[in-house]
Amino acid sequence: MSETLHAHVDEQVCVGTGMCEATAPDLFEVGDDGTSHVLLDVVPPELAAAARKAAEDCPTRALTLGAG
Amino acid sequence: MTALLPEASSVDLSDLEFWALPPEQREAAFAALRRDRPFAFYEEPEVPFMEKGPGYYSIVRHADVEAVSSQPKLFCSGEGATSIVNLPAELNEFYGSMISMDDPRHAKIRRIVSKAFTPKMLEAVVDSVELLCEEILIDARKAAEQGDGTFDLVKHISAPLPLRVICRMMGIHDADAPVVLEQTNFILSGGDEEFITDESQALMQIIQAGQTLAGIMERLAEERRETATDDLTSALVRTEVDGEKLSYQEIASFFILLCVAGNETTRTAISHGVWAMHQFPEQKARWMADPSLEKTAVEEIVRWASPVIWMRRTATQDTEVNGHKFKAGDKLIMFYNSANRDEKAFTDPFTFDLGRQPNPHYGFGAPGPHFCLGANLARREIAVAFRQIFEKMPDLEVVGEPDRLKSSFINGIKRLPVRLGGRA
Repeated sequence: MSETLHAHVDEQVCVGTGMCEATAPDLFEVGDDGTSHVLLDVVPPELAAAARKAAEDCPTRALTLGAG
Repeated sequence: MTALLPEASSVDLSDLEFWALPPEQREAAFAALRRDRPFAFYEEPEVPFMEKGPGYYSIVRHADVEAVSSQPKLFCSGEGATSIVNLPAELNEFYGSMISMDDPRHAKIRRIVSKAFTPKMLEAVVDSVELLCEEILIDARKAAEQGDGTFDLVKHISAPLPLRVICRMMGIHDADAPVVLEQTNFILSGGDEEFITDESQALMQIIQAGQTLAGIMERLAEERRETATDDLTSALVRTEVDGEKLSYQEIASFFILLCVAGNETTRTAISHGVWAMHQFPEQKARWMADPSLEKTAVEEIVRWASPVIWMRRTATQDTEVNGHKFKAGDKLIMFYNSANRDEKAFTDPFTFDLGRQPNPHYGFGAPGPHFCLGANLARREIAVAFRQIFEKMPDLEVVGEPDRLKSSFINGIKRLPVRLGGRA
């Protein structure tokens, strides 16, 4: 059984600082609505470390990761 | 440094003369506060014509700054984030714009501009940062060659780069750029005698500076309403929040915020970076020899410089921070400079280490909705500035002490004499 990793952005909290996009541009992008969007349904293993760093560093703590 | 700490009780952060002390003395004072009086209470500084408020608590430890900043519902910005003294509501909004606003309105307005500052959007700006920086260095070299080989780094490099970048992003005409610089200097002078000669006139001078910037904005907004471009001013005039266009005053204060914040901070970081690398030449040599150090080097410069010294929050209810109780209405000043030297958050915080990692500094503010909008832009500007200085001015050397701004709010450097040594 292999666990998959998902990223989630809380749009109520995100103000689009773009820190996640700077850390993991293949995974996050601030859209026209000024909040960040997750570009991939599943975080690929090679981006897992960057995704964790982005979640840790998110200034508004809008970004969470979940397994399953 | 521990052995040299002053008595924490002797430190008065409200005394403007404290901010004129040499940096080492100020650092030692904050180290003493972190150790012995982490929630020290101070009387408010006197401001002519303003009623003196109840005083404020200084928040000086990294963990406490984080706790306050990351709980905006408990510690709000709407009572004022950039002034210790409560300003009339109109003034607060005019000079603070969204920096002195709370969610949900803050978030709505913030998101409008966020999209102009994302990493991908900034890629387009970077080319122009490179070009502007090249022009600026050519002009600086000319200034040096026409004189005795020396020039003022602030005037010729660290001030013009962010100024011209932010003016270009906002769509401000080149002819207006010098006025923008001059007026933002006034607004963030912090009481320094060079800018505010008569203390009783300080408020008037700052109001006039705001009006001058608003005047530039008004003309520009008019032009953009007729013919929109892809600049920020066009975005602001056509934007709607909750179905309503931003008012003239909202656009004007937004414009002032972006001008002021976009100018004074990056300028300060670049100036401190050059000075720090003069003091620690082995760090300069290290970066010049290894360009891949850029990412950590830029963060360390921002930590070291801490261009914005503090922001204020106000408790919205009775609450506590890491065991210390606060009452509704209490004012809390988060000292980022102190958090950035906290021995508990950084290994050897008084060492300038361009390879520092991790580096959880609060130079762009601590976690929370007000985290610096321009962080990614500032990082690019600082990176480009140093890359080009190393390439095109490897002979640049500092030949005197920095002339520091006397301000509790901005850790500014007014002048830093440099020389192009190899050519003299």
